[in-house]
Amino acid sequence: MSEPGYLFTEEEADILQEVMNIAFGKASAELAEVIDITVILSVPEIRLFRGEKLHCYLIDQMRFAERLSLVEQGFIGRFRGSALLGFPQGAEECILRLMGEEELGEDVAEGPSSLGCEALLEVGNILIGACIGKLSELLKDYVTYTPPRLLVEDYHALVDGGLLARADDVGITMKTMFSFEEAESVTGYLFLLTDESSLSWLKQALNDYLDSFG
Amino acid sequence: MIRKLLIVDDSPIARKITRKCLPDGRDFDIREAGNGQEGVDLYGQERPDCTFLDLTMPVMDGFEALARIMQQDPDALVIVCTADVQEKVLQRVANLGAFRVIKKPPSKENITRALELAEARQQGGADA
Amino acid sequence: MIEQQILDTINVGIIVLDADFIVRQWNRWMAQYSGIEPEAIRGQSLFDHYPHLDNVKFRRNCKAVLRFGNFCFFSQKLHGHLFSFRPSSTLRGEMEFMQQNCTVGPLYSDDREIRHLFISVEDVTEAVLYQNRLVEMNRRDALTGLFNRRYLNQRLVEEFERARRYRRPLSLIMTDIDHFKRINDTYGHQFGDQVIRAVAATLTAGLRKVDGAARYGGEEFCCYLPETDGDGAVGVAERLRQRVAQLGLVHESVAVPVTMSFGVAVAQAAMGDHESLLKAADDALYQAKHNGRNQVCRFSPNPQTVDG
Repeated sequence: MSEPGYLFTEEEADILQEVMNIAFGKASAELAEVIDITVILSVPEIRLFRGEKLHCYLIDQMRFAERLSLVEQGFIGRFRGSALLGFPQGAEECILRLMGEEELGEDVAEGPSSLGCEALLEVGNILIGACIGKLSELLKDYVTYTPPRLLVEDYHALVDGGLLARADDVGITMKTMFSFEEAESVTGYLFLLTDESSLSWLKQALNDYLDSFG
Repeated sequence: MIRKLLIVDDSPIARKITRKCLPDGRDFDIREAGNGQEGVDLYGQERPDCTFLDLTMPVMDGFEALARIMQQDPDALVIVCTADVQEKVLQRVANLGAFRVIKKPPSKENITRALELAEARQQGGADA
Repeated sequence: MIEQQILDTINVGIIVLDADFIVRQWNRWMAQYSGIEPEAIRGQSLFDHYPHLDNVKFRRNCKAVLRFGNFCFFSQKLHGHLFSFRPSSTLRGEMEFMQQNCTVGPLYSDDREIRHLFISVEDVTEAVLYQNRLVEMNRRDALTGLFNRRYLNQRLVEEFERARRYRRPLSLIMTDIDHFKRINDTYGHQFGDQVIRAVAATLTAGLRKVDGAARYGGEEFCCYLPETDGDGAVGVAERLRQRVAQLGLVHESVAVPVTMSFGVAVAQAAMGDHESLLKAADDALYQAKHNGRNQVCRFSPNPQTVDG
């Protein structure tokens, strides 16, 4: 395997782009109904990388803020990988305001400083679920999820800590920028990273998708 | 009778899918454009009977293209195809003059139905 | 049926709800810990039995699951527990409520629509207790049970900040056992340890719950007193000094007199951070030693001895 480019035909790459556009468009629309916040998702940018280059790409992409909050979550279906949602630090305050603080359960384990973390995890979980959910719905896959993790770091700690390293041989990245209409200062990035094992299933699923019309 | 169609969408796959969803047994003359500007220009040149228009496009988005087409031709029949069907989007395109909105991904059923309604309108029948 | 047996034997609570939050399944684990039999809750709204769950957040998360098929995690760390169950019998003394990790996820019908969701409830009380114990051990000195130096510094940073922000007084006492090396050399290390433990106990007994005490060095101790000014702190230090002097420790029928020197300092506006406060108390302690030991000395730029 030399260049990852040839793994998808031009048509398959186009189908993937369109499927993602639709998935994210639907996710945007439905998010507004579920969490009562208007989320604007940009048209996803899809790229293919091998090993080291994937790592370099992520490091470069995460440079959008000095201090970041990253929500990371694994998804497992025929289509599997991990989702990375990056918020600039301070986003949690905006999100708390947009959502209102609610306490669930009769015994909240920690003090107020964790409310922001909780809000990030909740919104992150739902945002990721919305995008992957719509995508897997279109491709007729069932996906389960691992619990989301929250990493709050400054950019350099993130890079040095190897948190963005990916050992996989070939990765597809799907990047979208999201922002909240009512809180313009909250802009972040969503990355879906899938590994090689998903690729052959994905090719077939994309072709099946196109064939399902007409 | 609707014969000439214009499909405006930056995704070649979306245009292909729209074509695939057209009703069978009909002979359509199809033109395609890859962005809003091209779409507006082609509309002026070709004067299609019906237009399928995507909203998220580079160079000029669907909202602006819709406005300009309606300006050129107030009787234009434009069917907006979009995945984002939030109330505010629907309202906005309605205000701009869109004839119908189809939710992406389209199906043969809803494209066929939309064309039937467009034909009814074209023939001056009651607005369905 | 095998599926039903799995539901009833698995060591996890499983609830199935439909889109209107009506309970469709309530497995044996749930029945056992809730005291509600399946027949008593199936067909009814979950909120009839657990009204505290009827809130914006829970509904929002369930709506997301029904719409997107994602999972929602109510972790013990952030939520404590969703259902107020008593812990299993062996752990009942240590924790009032069972600690839970709960997961909500979609259940697909044959036509790929999501019409139901499941809630799984996992008992993590034991793991939490263990974790708490580890955290505590990490903060405390093994011999005396007082805070260790690292943790005291952490707490002191917070207390200092709080005192500064709200303009409240904060005092620090640094104290160490007089001639401790001599005691160790004369009576042995085991007795030395006993002395340290006795002194630590005396300190704890003489301080309030809001105060913090740490074993700062081998025979050195540090205490912070929030909401306490210089006079108050000196008073406390003096009382502690007397109590230590009256301990009356004995080694193999020989009375061993033990005394301590005390340095007291109050956080001042001029102090940049907690380090300055520590240094001031330390300087005062040094002065107390210098002036003859077994006394309390209060820091001032020109330190004076307090008559004890």
